[in-house]
Amino acid sequence: MIERMRRLCWLVFSVTVLLALPAWAQETGFTLRETDVKAKPFLDAGLLTKLPEKTVVTVLQRQGGWMQIKSDETQGWVRMLSLRLGNPDPKKNDTSFLTAITRSSRPSTSPTVTTGVRGFSEEDLKAAKPNPEELAKMESFAIPPAGAAQFAAAGKLVARQVDFVKADGKPEKVKK
Amino acid sequence: MNTRIAIAASLLGAVALGGLLAGCAPEQTEAFLKNVGGVEGLVRNIKDASGTVDERREIELGHGMMETLLGARPLVADPDLQLYVNNVGGWVAAQSDRPGLPWRFAVNDSDHVNAFAAPGGYVIVTKGMMNALHSEAELAGVLGHEIGHVVRKHHLAALRKGAFMNLLGAGAAAGAAGKASGELVQALVGPTKDLYSKGLDKDDEFEADRVGIVLATRAGYDPYGLPAALQTLAKIKADDPYLALLFKTHPNPGARLDQLALAMGTGFDRFEGSPQNAERFRAVTRKLRATP
Repeated sequence: MIERMRRLCWLVFSVTVLLALPAWAQETGFTLRETDVKAKPFLDAGLLTKLPEKTVVTVLQRQGGWMQIKSDETQGWVRMLSLRLGNPDPKKNDTSFLTAITRSSRPSTSPTVTTGVRGFSEEDLKAAKPNPEELAKMESFAIPPAGAAQFAAAGKLVARQVDFVKADGKPEKVKK
Repeated sequence: MNTRIAIAASLLGAVALGGLLAGCAPEQTEAFLKNVGGVEGLVRNIKDASGTVDERREIELGHGMMETLLGARPLVADPDLQLYVNNVGGWVAAQSDRPGLPWRFAVNDSDHVNAFAAPGGYVIVTKGMMNALHSEAELAGVLGHEIGHVVRKHHLAALRKGAFMNLLGAGAAAGAAGKASGELVQALVGPTKDLYSKGLDKDDEFEADRVGIVLATRAGYDPYGLPAALQTLAKIKADDPYLALLFKTHPNPGARLDQLALAMGTGFDRFEGSPQNAERFRAVTRKLRATP
């Protein structure tokens, strides 16, 4: 009986630890090109090593535009957009959407059945009939600009000037 | 003339020319011409549709499209969640070149992953998309992308295309047989379904990505929210049914990330450490994730 209790406790503990893992835990990714591995998530941080293209890595966490990775003996930070999650061979990329969201920090509550999907598929769209009541409901949730500004302040969001960018990264002049 | 009739008339004008271009039956075209007050009015209206649709008409058009889009799936019955996306979206849209549009945001009750907008400031994100996101910064990036479509008038560009005009013509004919008040909505049913199952121009999607990251950054968020969301989508297999419509109507997430890598370069590194507000996002979406 005590042994059983102990086993149950251990199970509960393990599940709790698994649930508490950060969203990026257990992610696999690969380098898109030869990639610098830095000691810290900054451009001017020390260079630890370079990883060749298509090196498979384990992603530990994301911080802004950087991801902390592990590959063999190397652990450090690489630019997020030099990495792609999943498998370098797209054919082996068999992660389903449900698995993908289950792997993040929300396994117990994700939808697990594929039957009875309530969706916005092409078929659902084709069968749609105008629904003025739902539109009226949508209109009723609109927030005045002052309300959104207050919400932003509560979230420590500070508006700042940033230019739009063109495809090559150069600033874009927008015609008003 | 009230707005609804004005825009219906304008669309009928556009329709008639669409019909002419496609070689519609002459009597059908004649009926349209009668409705819009001759060729002169028609030409004026098609000019409107080609880039200078006034704002009031644009909002009416989006309103009409949204009525059909919400017919596919209703809203999630969670007022706190609906107010939350309006706060995030409203704040991001306030950083755009069109802060004065009547911006409206909503989460629809769809397990499929998607987000879409309609002219005049309407934006929907699906419950499935909310479940795929990890933070408010990611949501801000996704909403920023949709706001980008509205601000840059990408739907209106699609509207100018011939196929859309033909469908609008057929829809208008069907609508004319019904009540006058529902005329515009009825006329838009077919074209709306067609547009949202085919998607916008590929380059417009890339442009909306760039606008989205800039708007989210202007709003004070971590600029890498949208790329992080795309990273999540990029690892999902290409034939996953939950993403079928999103993948059909957008360039693949890998291509979008490649484009963003070029556009962002190291220019957004100075915003390192900006809020992601993951806790606030998790708190509001907790109930959503508990829904089976």
